[in-house]
Amino acid sequence: MEHKFEEGLRLLQLHFIGKILAGFTHEIKNYLAIIKESAGLMEDLIKLGKASESDSGQNLEIIHSIEEQIEKANTLFRYLNRFAHRMDIQFATFNVNESLEELAALVTRFANQKKISIEKDFHEAIPPVYSNPSLLQFVVYSALEEKIRNLDKNSKIAIQTGVDENSVRIRIVPEGNFVQGEGDTTSISYKILEKIVMQLGGNILQESGRETLIMLPLTNS
Amino acid sequence: MPHMRLLLVDDEVEFTLALAERLQLRKYDVRTAGSALEALALIKEQLPDVIILDLKIPGMDGIETLKTIKKIDPEIEVIMLTGHGDVKSVEEGIKSGAFEYIMKPVDIEELIVKINKALAKKNKEQ
Repeated sequence: MEHKFEEGLRLLQLHFIGKILAGFTHEIKNYLAIIKESAGLMEDLIKLGKASESDSGQNLEIIHSIEEQIEKANTLFRYLNRFAHRMDIQFATFNVNESLEELAALVTRFANQKKISIEKDFHEAIPPVYSNPSLLQFVVYSALEEKIRNLDKNSKIAIQTGVDENSVRIRIVPEGNFVQGEGDTTSISYKILEKIVMQLGGNILQESGRETLIMLPLTNS
Repeated sequence: MPHMRLLLVDDEVEFTLALAERLQLRKYDVRTAGSALEALALIKEQLPDVIILDLKIPGMDGIETLKTIKKIDPEIEVIMLTGHGDVKSVEEGIKSGAFEYIMKPVDIEELIVKINKALAKKNKEQ
């Protein structure tokens, strides 16, 4: 039974990694497309003799646009790199906000496809937790994915973090109308998520209004 | 070349603006839209000859948008823009009446060849 769970979990994690990589490559392609068009426009203007000193404002604007896209791509690469390295070690002491920040950046594209915005409301002084960061990201991703699938267009999902005496709390709060999502055989059942979070020494609750609450024990508790 | 009316639909503003300007420098009459709804409104205002449509635009699925465009005017030719070689969507797009597709990042010369072929097909059918 346990072996079957582990095997199933591995498959779901592979699906998760695949989705993250698909979103990442799509975003990077978009940045490259903008860089290519901006550079191409500069080339066109120079060839047509329109890139004279009097047009330096527009030229600088184009150059800044290129720099901005390179910076965005660089940030996304940094997030992907950190995401990949979180799998190197099973358990570690880490900052939950940082791991959620990188996850949010990597899944925003999927949400935006449905005009769903992802908002972050993180507790600034959140203490570190000792847990499995990649499994936590997997659980939060699964909860987010379920909400993205079932929310109507023009909705919002808030990722909130907080802390109490014994635990760090992560809330995933959907705001908007729920619709019947398209059937997705890879969607993760709540029972599996519950089992994973319990293995991490925490708890997960699916609250009214379809909020998800994940509690992880503090490092010293 | 007479003024060919193009509509460029993509939610990446910097991309559409730069590509639109490059096409305008080549004497095309280009309008841009950042969403499916905006595109449909512009089409109803003035029919374009060719639409360059990103398959991943927010709000309405790209294929759904393509079908709606074809319902408005089956003679508008659509070139699909795809960022990740989504073979399934491209096949579905062609079945739904798209003329061609082009991958991002776009090769401007390749795009112009495809636009001109789309225009030639449209003119032949008229």
